[in-house]
Amino acid sequence: MDTKVRFFELTMWPHMRAAYNLARWLVRNDQDAEDVVQESFLKAFKAQESFRGSEAKTWMLAIVRNTAMDFRRRLKAGPAAPIGDERHEPEDDSPDPESALIAESRREQVRHAISHLAEEFREVIVLREIEGLAYKEIAAVLGIPMGTVMSRLSRARNLLLVELGGVKEVQHDLP
Amino acid sequence: MTCREAGPLLHARLDNELDMASSASVDVHLSDCRVCAAQYQALQNLHEELVSSDLAYAPGIALERKLADRFLGEEKSPRRLWNWSWPSASVMAAVAIAAVVLIAFLPMLRVSNTDTLSAEILDNHLRALQAVHPVDVPSSDQHTVKPWFQGKTSFSPPVPDLTQDGFILIGGRLEVIHQQPAAAIVYRRRQHVIDLYVSPSTDTDSKIELHELGGYHLLHWTQNNMSYWAVSDVDAADLRTFADLIRAR
Repeated sequence: MDTKVRFFELTMWPHMRAAYNLARWLVRNDQDAEDVVQESFLKAFKAQESFRGSEAKTWMLAIVRNTAMDFRRRLKAGPAAPIGDERHEPEDDSPDPESALIAESRREQVRHAISHLAEEFREVIVLREIEGLAYKEIAAVLGIPMGTVMSRLSRARNLLLVELGGVKEVQHDLP
Repeated sequence: MTCREAGPLLHARLDNELDMASSASVDVHLSDCRVCAAQYQALQNLHEELVSSDLAYAPGIALERKLADRFLGEEKSPRRLWNWSWPSASVMAAVAIAAVVLIAFLPMLRVSNTDTLSAEILDNHLRALQAVHPVDVPSSDQHTVKPWFQGKTSFSPPVPDLTQDGFILIGGRLEVIHQQPAAAIVYRRRQHVIDLYVSPSTDTDSKIELHELGGYHLLHWTQNNMSYWAVSDVDAADLRTFADLIRAR
């Protein structure tokens, strides 16, 4: 098989979902996230000669993160984007619709709390808690020292604890 | 260790980022100090909720298609044929010699059965990762996943609960590997997906063998007339732990 196609299939494609997820959390709406992923894939594909066989996932995510940052910077010139076009995706068949509904609204509550974190805290939460990266990998994606990863993560978690612990404060905007 | 010293380390302890000695001294402090223990518990609860809440946004099918068309389609476009120039005589000669050598030595290059199987398993795993639903029966409950296979397969695959060991059951799906029905049991290690393929086998019990393909690890063994393949991009040591746990059940 063509080595370029092989590179796409083995190095880029397996991380497509992670790329989309990170982009979606950073730009906070579906359409922009799709644009960021496409742009990132194009960059990665062009830069494949510079890929030195380090961790493919962190390499891809670093590109996505930088692309998202550029995207946000360009947007800042225009009107501010509204936060979260929180569309509800259709759920899987569930044995108990009622408990599924509760779980779903709790999930939206958690998503809401994360999406309202400042960018520097949001990105460490997404990379650690949702993508499951180790500190070393997060440091590589964000281009910051491990100590900074740790301090941002601890700040971010404490903010989330306050936000999600206070049920009263967050329940008012539930559907 | 004081609370002030322990504070910043709680996160690293929670994330398994501490060496054994530091881990142990944090644990000692946690058993002594109620305030830090409560804080640690709160962080742990938050962590567990975040990890288990399925917070990731999934890309739409349209995006997957666009990317596939763009990057895979490009290679098949007619423009490529235009760019393709007739190779020089020396290249042709080299190809001819290579062909002769290949034919002469072909019998020695017999690809073993497990090599083609491992490639097929990896392809299957990658396809499943890209699918909208990597499982047919999404459940973290072994008592839901195991019965699901009944009536769909002639064998009953083991579906152990390995949550305690950090491998979280996501569900199962039915696959066909080498024209044989196989059960794929899907686990998660952090965010890495592990597919465990189980199918009946007439081979005698074997030890675990490691295959590596394109950055993925595959472990294969046979046990009690069942063939097992575990595949993931998780690191080899973690996958080995996983395989050992499955074998021990």
